[in-house]
Amino acid sequence: MSAFRPLVGVTLRSLLGRRRLLLMVLLVALPVALALLVRLGGGRPDASGILDNLVVRIVLPLVAVVLGTAAVGSEIDDGTIVYLLVKPIARRWIVLAMAFVSAGLTIALVVPAVVLTGLLTSGLGSTSVNTALAFAAACALGGIAYSTAFLALSTVTSRALVIGLAYTLIWEGVIAGLLEGTRFLSIRQATLGIAAALGGKRPGLQPLEPTISVVIVVVVTLGALAIATRQLSRFEVRGGD
Amino acid sequence: MSQPVVPAWAAAEPASPAAPPVAVPALQLDHVSRWYGNVVAINDVSFALGAGVTGLLGPNGAGKSTLLHMMAGLLQPSAGQVLIRGRSAWRQPEIYRDIGLVPEKEVVHPYLSGYGFALLNAQLQGVPDPPAAAARAIETVDLADAAHRPTGTYSKGMRQRAKIAGALVHEPSILLLDEPFNGMDPRQRLHMMDLLRSMAADGRTILFSSHILEEVERLADSILVVHAGRLAAAGDYRSIRRLMTDRPHTFTIRSSDDRRLAATLIADPAVFGADLTGGRLSVSTNDYAAFTRALPRLAAATGITLHEVAPTNDSLESVFSYLVRR
Repeated sequence: MSAFRPLVGVTLRSLLGRRRLLLMVLLVALPVALALLVRLGGGRPDASGILDNLVVRIVLPLVAVVLGTAAVGSEIDDGTIVYLLVKPIARRWIVLAMAFVSAGLTIALVVPAVVLTGLLTSGLGSTSVNTALAFAAACALGGIAYSTAFLALSTVTSRALVIGLAYTLIWEGVIAGLLEGTRFLSIRQATLGIAAALGGKRPGLQPLEPTISVVIVVVVTLGALAIATRQLSRFEVRGGD
Repeated sequence: MSQPVVPAWAAAEPASPAAPPVAVPALQLDHVSRWYGNVVAINDVSFALGAGVTGLLGPNGAGKSTLLHMMAGLLQPSAGQVLIRGRSAWRQPEIYRDIGLVPEKEVVHPYLSGYGFALLNAQLQGVPDPPAAAARAIETVDLADAAHRPTGTYSKGMRQRAKIAGALVHEPSILLLDEPFNGMDPRQRLHMMDLLRSMAADGRTILFSSHILEEVERLADSILVVHAGRLAAAGDYRSIRRLMTDRPHTFTIRSSDDRRLAATLIADPAVFGADLTGGRLSVSTNDYAAFTRALPRLAAATGITLHEVAPTNDSLESVFSYLVRR
């Protein structure tokens, strides 16, 4: 598909605005800086607590919600989406290119932060490396699910950022931790399930089964892509006389 | 259901490399309506367009952008259908090989240069040599000097030209432009008018919207007049212009003797009514030219001094209202 590359290019340039990029870099630097302080204080034997509480719970969804909602949402808000839509391109390619960029940037920002945080916290021992890599792989998969879900949300509502933050902070942060059945509707729980299966189990927590976790990630990602494609296929411009 | 209005100028298309040899009109609206909840934005509009420049004229809020968005497949008609060379415009990305759209919103990706924007459009259109097509389009709209500056630094007129370059890269046979001359200086405006005329001469269908009569007058061979969501008139520019001029006009007149002037004017065949209520003389005529010639002559002949003669309903809005009512 010859349009895929230019679509990726224009989405990348749109998402890499100076202020947004700076904000994202500061956000992912937060757990790394904290881990550095822990290291200066002698380190900890297990990094999974910090990786869960700081990265999976806060940094990963925040980065994904900003990038995922901006990929399509900013084009819709400022009206430039029209230039992409009035082209002989199947809408799924537009969605795939934007999802590719937002997920790719989420992974590129979060995964190095996960590895650095893990290794700074608990050193270069084999268990520590294994935990860091398990969380890195889980965050990569979780990042794909989060960013495509938020991208789809931005094609449904102009308040995607607020709703995305509410989902992250209220649903995942409070409700999904308290009520057993709601864990199946949580990308964070799926991310933790994958991390645990790969060797990054957090002591004292009962994660979701690995199969269920992967199914959640796949269903969320494919469902979000389908919703976004459907929404863009029926997209109608706003305003005008 | 009645057939859509197909003016004579839409029926024949000259043979051209830009227009495929098909009998169907390039662009056709068949009893199209669009409503938002209880608000009717477009009400049962039908017409067909062939090659040439057509002006879509109407006051702000008349529904011009709604019509153009439906033609560009960016709005679904609530009733009726919009056809591009016989194919539905809604949810058919393939129609964009035939269409170039210049939307009214002036925003362009601010981080792209004018050339970058044209190149993006060329790449997304899948033209064989995107850089050459982009350079050609930039040259065509006279933007070469600023081609490599970010569009965020452009003036309104330059952004307008960048948008037009983006719409021209694939040399579409149908070009839809929403208020394309907004923000352009007179020289750019003339250049753009020449460009659109030459594209129409190549057999392309050009439809541009405007709320300024003079713009339409200078460029369009034919016009569509839209008012309050309805098609008020469609056809050859001159005949519509004549309708606009020959409609009933009312003048308010202040003179040295209003009563005697009223009695004199009512005897003139160009006048069909005179009213003296409220201490003002209002005179109605259905022959604008004859009346404006007769008034000073009759006043002079009867020794009456004219202090003020003012048309009371000469706004473009009132012209459009009249065209809808007739």
